[in-house]
Amino acid sequence: MTTETGTLAIDSEDDILVARQRAREIAEELGFRRTDVTRIVTAVSELSRNIYLYAGEGEMRWRALERHGQPGLELQFVDEGPGIENVEAVLAGEHSTSEGMGRGVTGTKQLVDEIEIDTELGEGTTVTIIKWAT
Amino acid sequence: MSPSEQSVVWVRDILLATFPDNPTDKTIERLQEAVLDAMTGRQPTGVILDLSGVETVDSFFARMIAETAQMIDLMGAETIVVGIRPPVAMTAAELGYDLGDVRKARNTDHALDLLGVSNVERDV
Repeated sequence: MTTETGTLAIDSEDDILVARQRAREIAEELGFRRTDVTRIVTAVSELSRNIYLYAGEGEMRWRALERHGQPGLELQFVDEGPGIENVEAVLAGEHSTSEGMGRGVTGTKQLVDEIEIDTELGEGTTVTIIKWAT
Repeated sequence: MSPSEQSVVWVRDILLATFPDNPTDKTIERLQEAVLDAMTGRQPTGVILDLSGVETVDSFFARMIAETAQMIDLMGAETIVVGIRPPVAMTAAELGYDLGDVRKARNTDHALDLLGVSNVERDV
């Protein structure tokens, strides 16, 4: 396993678990403290589940970052699924249903430092999150 | 405990369900079913959901816990969630998870105390 950068396919429910385990290993390796590791793993769980539920398949990409000597981690969740119709509402937490996409994304926003959603209807979605070690 | 393992055991009239450390969605669903199945043949006074091995609780897991507790409540038993670890408590609070009216306890002994199961050894 490379901590610096890599890709993991997500195309089954079990891959949500694999993504969580991989993210934990990477975050621990990069030196995140325990609570931040849990935040990262929780965000990964939400976003990889979204891929599985809404797109069926996709991948998680990771990249180690550094800022002022502090480690960071960028994670991307890429799929070619149906896309998200109202991204602003989802990010604002207005699109939240008990099982829908909204809940996972709204929650993830609380756990990471940066989140960006790049989506096009019928084309796919890329969710990028960044967490900096504190 | 491996991700596929789960356990539902009786302790007197209490049903004790232990979640594995890194459960898949299916494992969580199966554990919920196992709890309900166990309650088909015998009525517990309380059900303890032990999360002490769990490192991550996301929105799906939280919803399943709340849902399971609601089902148990509908069947007339009380649910107590035990062993929530500090990182899990932190993310759950940050995410605003609502576990409903579910009672929480520090550990299984504390939960058994809350359910009124006395420790015979201790009374000796």
